Amino acid sequence: MTAQLNVVSPKDFKSELKPIWCPGCGDYGVVQSIYRALANIGRPAHEIAFVSGIGCSSRIPGYTTAYGFNSVHGRSLPIAQGIKLANPDLLVLCAGGDGDGFSIGGGHLPHAIRRNVDITYIVMDNQVYGLTKGQLSPTAAKGRKTVTSVYGSIERPINPLLQVLSYGAGFVAQGTPADMPGLTALVEEAIRYPGFAFVNVQSPCVTYGEEHQQMKAQKATMKSLSTLGHDPQDFLKALEVATHYGVELHTGVLYRHPEPPATYEQQIRERQTTLSRDALPRERILELFQKHA
Amino acid sequence: MTADIVIGMAGSGGDGIVSAGESLINAAARAGYHALMTKSFGPQIRGGESSCRVRIATSRTHSPGGALDLAVALNWEDFLKFGSELKVAGRTVVIWDSATGVTKDTLPLPGVKPADALAVPLTELTRAAAGTDKAKNSLVLGLLSGWTGIAQEAILEGLKKRYIKKGEELWAANERAFAAGLSYAKEHPLSVDLRLEQIARPTDAQSKGKILTDGNDITAAAAIFAGCQFFGGYPITPSTEIMQFLAREIWKYGGTVLQAEDEIAGVAAAVGASFAGKKSMTATSGPGMDLKTEVLGLASIAELPLVLVNVQRGGPSTGLPTKAEQGDLYQACFSGHGDVLRPVLAPTCVADCFDVTVEAFNIAETYQTPVIILSAQEIAQRKETVDPIDTSRYQIVSRQAPTEAELLDYKRFRNTESGVSPISRPGIQGGAYLAAGIEHNEAGDPSASGAMHTLMNEKRFRKLRALKQREDLLLTEGDPMAPIALVSWGSSAGICREAMQLANAKGLRVKLLVPLLVYPIAEDAYARFFQGVQAGLVVEQSFQGQLYRILRMYVDVPSSVHSMCRSGANPFQPAEVLARLQEVALTLQGRVSNATPAQE
Repeated sequence: MTAQLNVVSPKDFKSELKPIWCPGCGDYGVVQSIYRALANIGRPAHEIAFVSGIGCSSRIPGYTTAYGFNSVHGRSLPIAQGIKLANPDLLVLCAGGDGDGFSIGGGHLPHAIRRNVDITYIVMDNQVYGLTKGQLSPTAAKGRKTVTSVYGSIERPINPLLQVLSYGAGFVAQGTPADMPGLTALVEEAIRYPGFAFVNVQSPCVTYGEEHQQMKAQKATMKSLSTLGHDPQDFLKALEVATHYGVELHTGVLYRHPEPPATYEQQIRERQTTLSRDALPRERILELFQKHA
Repeated sequence: MTADIVIGMAGSGGDGIVSAGESLINAAARAGYHALMTKSFGPQIRGGESSCRVRIATSRTHSPGGALDLAVALNWEDFLKFGSELKVAGRTVVIWDSATGVTKDTLPLPGVKPADALAVPLTELTRAAAGTDKAKNSLVLGLLSGWTGIAQEAILEGLKKRYIKKGEELWAANERAFAAGLSYAKEHPLSVDLRLEQIARPTDAQSKGKILTDGNDITAAAAIFAGCQFFGGYPITPSTEIMQFLAREIWKYGGTVLQAEDEIAGVAAAVGASFAGKKSMTATSGPGMDLKTEVLGLASIAELPLVLVNVQRGGPSTGLPTKAEQGDLYQACFSGHGDVLRPVLAPTCVADCFDVTVEAFNIAETYQTPVIILSAQEIAQRKETVDPIDTSRYQIVSRQAPTEAELLDYKRFRNTESGVSPISRPGIQGGAYLAAGIEHNEAGDPSASGAMHTLMNEKRFRKLRALKQREDLLLTEGDPMAPIALVSWGSSAGICREAMQLANAKGLRVKLLVPLLVYPIAEDAYARFFQGVQAGLVVEQSFQGQLYRILRMYVDVPSSVHSMCRSGANPFQPAEVLARLQEVALTLQGRVSNATPAQE
């Protein structure tokens, strides 16, 4: 088997399942970038757990050869954390759409970040609900007309980049399948970052998206942060870049913590090691109550 | 002299009435009595009304008992809020603080003529002896010890342990208050003899392994014993002590507690940990169970083992958050969309919590399914003597992993004869699969085919067929040929057990069935139990009588078997159930004597 040779190629991560995505969907590029990034990392597929919620993009774990978990709407992050805490040796990826991550599951994001569990979270942000056929998403621009915002949306969109930065994420990046080498590098770097890492991918919806969101338009307008001379260690600059979300398409690493703090699971391991020294054997656990009696 | 005494006390939060109750049962348990204490509170965090019911007996009891033998009211306003939990009757000796201004003639107990009533200057005596109102509970303990003869050295020992760490002075004040109570009791004997029969103090060997604990703590300990390594949850009354216990202990066993951001994240993390191969658990109460329901469905279709404890409280919604009810049975069995068969276990006492929790993990692991433990506030927060548990007699089961041969052509949801398919976990080479909430084929690939959905539903339901044959999880007592049947579950079962004993002692022929596995319904076993039954009662603490109605869905329950049910926070008492049984027996006699001439 390839894994035993310890050399892995992108196709080792591609499953036989045929995607349900529309031809030309941005998510094809995202899954490709994940195959390539994982091949560069070199961990065998069976040591990877890939969790998602519900939505077009949440089908993604099934298109890989990793252990996949296509769960329920909005709950991918807590499930992914449970997996990582249960077995910190696994490489844990988490993915989904903007509705899954910022709307129905939006309450989990700050907590996953404040715990700093070593998970890579990739959001395929297309500003529309595709699976349910074209409703308003939390990242859609104000005034966007959809079947549920017939006269234009009234609410402001969420700014996911600004949110995750303010929650304290140690790694924050944005990419697009319109720049495959760039996206692959971001996914790889996010996985290598020792702590919670967030990659927002502007992955266009060919069916319900607007013209200016499509890959062709993105290619003409995207701006690489490294070309702009952005220093990803500068938190305040990162915040400034994030404020342009929805107006300009910046690609690259917005922020990378210069000294990544200890992860949740590292601290758990320390606690387990220290406390296990005075554990009663399991079969004598009831003696705990005798002390108090 | 008495062999069995029930004492009820109520006061406001700061009075320390519950800690007095704890001192009493600790001392009684150490002296070798069977001790049991239930607590009931108002909804306030501090202050507010609080109460406890203490039952101490020379042999094993099964419930908090009936009407009080001794009632202690530090103030009447608080005491009366527990009217249905602290029942005062003709047998009761009532004690209250004379500072309340209430006299024997102005007792606020309409329609009740207690056996004795005594206004005691509790506040005055405490101030004189201890110089502070804070030691009122120690004075009460002195009174109780004096009147009942419950081991005073043991009580003092416990008090010392409690107060000495807070300072010599406080301990001395409490010691003086206790002594004042004791001598007051000696000088004012009651007209009713409430002295508890003395028993020989147990030897060290006899008390070895005997513990005094509550349902929540022993549930958490059982989870560790069963191999639980992950707990995800969110604080909610009255289940939180389970998480608190595990947050102290589970790390020592390589496990983790995640205090999640909400109920959904708690169960979702537990499901994630289970997917990763660890035995995992969550605990909550009714409102939390509502929130967790979608993820429970996920665990059912993805066939992931999970133990969920619902410590029931009064509902719906916030309901009666600090009080007991058995109103979540429908929810446990039927919540969630789609066709799901969900095992539900219910402990009936503190000791049961251990068995039931180990069993819940075993069932979850064997059949790769979520299992619900329906505990209840009354059991979860009840402290009780538990006889030694020999942990070596328990079998601990872990999920069936695929063999190397099976991994060569691994299908996660292989349609086996038992319905159980070997389960892989991340890290195992050759075992990768897609766990999903979406319907899938045997390999785990998504499928929207009606035929596949049928096949998979059949497979999932087939897994639990064997469970219905687990007759060891249906407890029956009494003469199998008895014409009168009692069925009860959870926190009402102990009451029925005592009611049956009382009934049989009166010559009534009553038998009892208590399911520890409440769902799925073991149709055959119930049918056999009801065979030849001429009348009966299904007793439970819910407004609708939920078990009764579920039984009628599945079993041909004789029409002469009726539901005896009422809302929570109004616990049944053995004497009440006995009275209903006597009525039932009378009707039966009537029926027989009426029927006989007609046949002639």
